Amino acid sequence: MRVAPGAAAALLLWALLVPAGAIRAQGTDEIRLEDIEKEIARTVERPYRLGGFLEFQPTLFGFDRDAAFYRLQFFDEDEGATAAQYDLRLRLEGSYRKGIFSLFARADALTTQGDLDSESRIDLLEGFGSLKPIPGLALDVGKKVVKWGKGYAWNPVAFVDRPKNPEDPELALEGFYLLVAEAIRSFDGPLKTAAFTAVALPVDRDVNEEFGETDHLNVAAKLYALLFDTDLDVMVFTGGSRTTRFGVDFARNILTNFEVHGEWALITDFEQAPINERGQAKRRVADVMSYLVGIRYLTERETTFIVEYYHNGTGFTGGQMEDFFRFVEAGDATFRSTGNPTGIRRAITLAEGAYGRPNPMRSYLYARASQKEPFDILYFTPALTTIVNVEDQSFVVIPELTYSPVTNLELRFRAAALVGERRAEYGEKQNDYRLELRVRYYF
Amino acid sequence: MALLAIAVLLGASPAAALDGTEILKKVDANLQPESFESYRKLIDVQPSGARREYLLWTLKKGDDRIASLFLEPASEKGRATLRLGDNMWLYIPGVGKPIRITSLQSVTGSVFNNADIMRLDYHVEYDVRTVEEQGGAYFLDLRAKTTTVAYDHLKMWVDRKTVLPTRIECYAATGLLIKTLYFKEPKPFDDGRLRPAILETDSPLYKGYRSYMVYARIKKRVVPDEVFTLDFLPRLETMR
Repeated sequence: MRVAPGAAAALLLWALLVPAGAIRAQGTDEIRLEDIEKEIARTVERPYRLGGFLEFQPTLFGFDRDAAFYRLQFFDEDEGATAAQYDLRLRLEGSYRKGIFSLFARADALTTQGDLDSESRIDLLEGFGSLKPIPGLALDVGKKVVKWGKGYAWNPVAFVDRPKNPEDPELALEGFYLLVAEAIRSFDGPLKTAAFTAVALPVDRDVNEEFGETDHLNVAAKLYALLFDTDLDVMVFTGGSRTTRFGVDFARNILTNFEVHGEWALITDFEQAPINERGQAKRRVADVMSYLVGIRYLTERETTFIVEYYHNGTGFTGGQMEDFFRFVEAGDATFRSTGNPTGIRRAITLAEGAYGRPNPMRSYLYARASQKEPFDILYFTPALTTIVNVEDQSFVVIPELTYSPVTNLELRFRAAALVGERRAEYGEKQNDYRLELRVRYYF
Repeated sequence: MALLAIAVLLGASPAAALDGTEILKKVDANLQPESFESYRKLIDVQPSGARREYLLWTLKKGDDRIASLFLEPASEKGRATLRLGDNMWLYIPGVGKPIRITSLQSVTGSVFNNADIMRLDYHVEYDVRTVEEQGGAYFLDLRAKTTTVAYDHLKMWVDRKTVLPTRIECYAATGLLIKTLYFKEPKPFDDGRLRPAILETDSPLYKGYRSYMVYARIKKRVVPDEVFTLDFLPRLETMR
């Protein structure tokens, strides 16, 4: 390396004036440049990365023993008023790079012990290889989450992803086995970026079988543009495992502290078979629309508000859901009076499908307020979240406290109260309330 | 005659010879190359003395493109931020698409906010309203070019010999002092230039708290524009 004479003189001056080791900045805080250099050198030299977290989560469930989903879950037994569950999870993430190739994997080892269930399992959430010949071109093969959409709690345009849990949307998702090709171009002017993503998603009896109808090769594509400081996406999915669908989304900061976003999806030939109160299904095929509009707003006092409205075109109406609950009641009553489980078993099967989805109806409101470090308590964030079923007025309220007392240790306490009338979504959920503590240590 | 004398005097005064914009551009050039990669450590110190540290790798290109990757601690590893002009995003691995963030919030929870961590050159975001000499320093009064800039105005003191800032006061439009930045410990970096190795900040809004941004490496590097895109953010680490 060639060094200019002026720089060499400066270097000499630096060496003379600054003792090797610590620099004392204002106050008494010691900053060791040498140590920082060593730490950086360690990270630069490694072509691999390994990390993750160990998590312990005890949860207490308070049951609503009159609720439809409680009866579906425990129709031939009584589990009492509460149940405890203890989850121990080890998350491992690793990557390796060599030239234009790289590998990435994320996996969970989970052990659950509790009053209701005991199981241990290992899940590969993601595991894929990447080829990146130039920064503007990439090819990924393997199990991957592609993360389409701008919504925080819901993503109606995420055509090739599993749905998020709207009560905890930041949980890592499990991917599908995919082939993903991506091309990116940057420009000067109002169009700053354009990117094209193509996805191939095979479904057969052994691969991605939970995605939809087997023995199909599905394809999806997305065109992204950053145009006039607005994120815009247009996407399409077709194949045979699910019906053809089209989507658009957008996100934009209209002020430095105010963001708006939205998604719109058209799902063609969507088939639904709602039942009446006697359990008779009426098949219906139609093009349906799902959409979402939302905002994220940060106040001067560092309170963040996220509000989203979600219309789920694939969901059931209030009347259809009430019919389902009546059918559960009838099946349960028959079982109790005659011992015949036919009706309740059919209801259980239905609940494993569309009726048992996290948000099976049409119209939802999500609101979350979180306050960064109130009362000068550093690394402490309380939050309050609610999801309201606009149609039947039932809702869940989730107060939450997150605190990180030391680096890499995170504690989160959450409660969830589910409120609603009989034959309303949250009124018929299995639980009245839920208390959980999550202790997570990152390494 | 009197007017002529005043005009001559004004023309001869050092202040009239000062070009604030040129000084500001020199300050920018002396602080960091136009396109570079750097390693930085953010250190937050609480009133109790407890510290929390973050290690970041950053790429910058031209006037308005910055991408940063968190390398440490483990709880933040893999997080990445992108700034394209006024647009800022945060990518959290495993969570979802990069989310839009705002310049005044802080991804680390430190006194430094996102605008400080993903700072563009000062002359890109601010106009020089006045410039004057104050002993061995230039004093620059800077105004934000648009309302989307994090601070409404800055007061900057620049060492005349090195043309490096020594102190910057950051104000809100209401005149409220949000924070003060202190540039310390000039050190020759990879390109031989002398630059401050430590940027320290305190704020009347966070009494007793201090944050440091320590530059360990700054190296000229030009990468393709495509690196500074939303879709590339999850792959940012492959550029290290």
